[in-house]
Amino acid sequence: MSSIELVNLTKRFGDLVAVNELNLEIKDKEFVALLGPSGCGKTTTMNLIAGIENPDGGEVRFDGKNVGSVPLRKRGVGFVFQNYAIFTHMTTYKNLSFALEVRGLPRDEIDRRVHEIAKLLDLEDRLPVPAARLGVNEMQRLGIGRSAIANPQIFLLDEPLSNLDAAFRAVMRTELKHLQHQLGQTMVYVTHDQLEAMTMADRIAVMDMGVLQQYGTPLEVYNRPRNLFVARFMGSPSMNLLYCRLTESDGGRALDFDESGRVELHDEALLKQCASARNADLYFGMRPEDVELSPVTGDRGGLAMTVTFVEHIGARTIVHLRSAGHEVKAIERNDFDVDIGAPMEVSPKPGAGWLFDAATEIALGAG
Amino acid sequence: MSAPATTAKDAAGAVDLAARGRKLGLLMTLPAQLLLVFIFAFPALMQIYISLTWWTPGDGTIWIYAYESFVWFDNYVELITSERLWEPIGRTMLILIVVVPVEFVIGFGLAVLFVDSFPGKRVFYSILLTPMMVVPAVAGYMFFMLFQSNGPINQILSLLTGTDVELVWLGDTTLAMIAVMIADIWQWTPLMFLILLAGILGVPEDQLKAATLLGANWGQKFWRIVLPRMRTVIIIAIVIRAVEAFKLFDVMYVMTKGGPGVATETISIYIYKLFKQLEWSYLAAVDLSILIALSVIAVIGMTLMAKAKQKRAGDVVD
Repeated sequence: MSSIELVNLTKRFGDLVAVNELNLEIKDKEFVALLGPSGCGKTTTMNLIAGIENPDGGEVRFDGKNVGSVPLRKRGVGFVFQNYAIFTHMTTYKNLSFALEVRGLPRDEIDRRVHEIAKLLDLEDRLPVPAARLGVNEMQRLGIGRSAIANPQIFLLDEPLSNLDAAFRAVMRTELKHLQHQLGQTMVYVTHDQLEAMTMADRIAVMDMGVLQQYGTPLEVYNRPRNLFVARFMGSPSMNLLYCRLTESDGGRALDFDESGRVELHDEALLKQCASARNADLYFGMRPEDVELSPVTGDRGGLAMTVTFVEHIGARTIVHLRSAGHEVKAIERNDFDVDIGAPMEVSPKPGAGWLFDAATEIALGAG
Repeated sequence: MSAPATTAKDAAGAVDLAARGRKLGLLMTLPAQLLLVFIFAFPALMQIYISLTWWTPGDGTIWIYAYESFVWFDNYVELITSERLWEPIGRTMLILIVVVPVEFVIGFGLAVLFVDSFPGKRVFYSILLTPMMVVPAVAGYMFFMLFQSNGPINQILSLLTGTDVELVWLGDTTLAMIAVMIADIWQWTPLMFLILLAGILGVPEDQLKAATLLGANWGQKFWRIVLPRMRTVIIIAIVIRAVEAFKLFDVMYVMTKGGPGVATETISIYIYKLFKQLEWSYLAAVDLSILIALSVIAVIGMTLMAKAKQKRAGDVVD
């Protein structure tokens, strides 16, 4: 089995820096998702690991060894393409046996292993069928099986679920995770879908503009975003981010939201974050599910906002609120009853507010 | 059509309308149909008619009166029994069998080289395609000059071997054949190259990448991915070139006129000579026989291909 280490990895395409000084360490048997919007460099990173692209700087190490000089076909990397790249001129059987045949394994062993993997992926009765006639869901499994049969130490998947219909995508999310446990391989998974990353990955590497934004467990990334990009990218609806200024008075610290109001800081977590503020210009962030709405009383110290829209999405209700220059979305129970135009007092749940430096965009206290 | 119920009168009207539509359609396509009659049906019937006679324009009568020398199938009996016809056919086949595989191998090799980019690729690409653009008669004349006894080919060979090479290329029965083949290979390898390059570029890059990642080396990728995926293109390229090689005329006529003697006389040149000798009724029979023979071969070939395709699709493990 194999661990992966990326050291100062850099790749340029002309003037574009696709991957910039990337440092990432993936443990043996870990399932890591490379998450980011299109063009963030995640697929390039994957191609660099596989050896499809050569880096302009830095190293890719497997088990501590630089594999820069190891040619593509000797890297022992399983790769599932976004479009699966199935050999459509062959049968399902031949697709599965390909990797073993080119290694010159004996025929009976090939046959045994093909049936083994076909059984695992529920493709046994499709073996004699030309691969071109498989459904897209079957092709997806075949794409995985074709790589998995050679027992690669490292498995790379490039958005393998993006072509599937929504229902089957949910099924495959669980299946893939299950499969990874069974195969016991190190898996790197590229996706732009945060739900896929959250549900499957042991750790998520969030990327933007070729730069690693944050690397951590799904909950770390979700609960403790390191910067504004991650805060905006993770979660749906995404985190509410409100521009404010940190002010100090004899009574202590407060956040000034201009016309939306001024909030005295009593929450310990927020005070702790403020301690590391080097700048008065901040963004105040809170997850929609961490927003508390209450009738305006004036004594809770929240922001005064007006309900502009109520969105029923089934299990939950999203309440959109607005005040001068600020917008907030709050997730409430689906029986939450409020009229459009009603004034509300908005405040975060205790311990659920985050502050970001407006200039550097980095979370306060994140180092 | 607003009324759902159809009365008898309506039906009659519909039939009338359909009949009128047919008539109109016939009128509209009449010019094209007439043209077809004149360029295909009429000449074909005329050819069959003349091939059953001994008529020649030398008789001084027009072809309509050819029945005066009606001989049934004498011409056909003669072409089957006479060696005069089989020799040019044999030579044509020999040229075809040598030239097409050589063009295929060279063309394929060049196509493989042109998949990856290299400095000057576009220049070489243009240079490679030039021979195809040269008018065959000009190419023929060019090779006629090159293969003269004191021409550049002999001079280059002299330089290379250090001895005086004075081969009489176009005067020797074997060498003339080789010279003609070289000319054809020079001119038509580019077409093979072009078709095969298109075929190679049509192989999905992803599949080649996938094969590499699965551990396949260059040869394995070639035999298992590239070649099977190019099957159709390869067949098309070979068929096109084989048909063209069978009709080989212009380059050869300019270079050797079928000579020395009849050493390089292909079927086309033989037919041309018959034409010049005014043996038009025999020529009609020869022409028609070749057309029928080629059609039969083509039909058999296509049937075999269709069967092979069916078999492949039904194969359990290919």
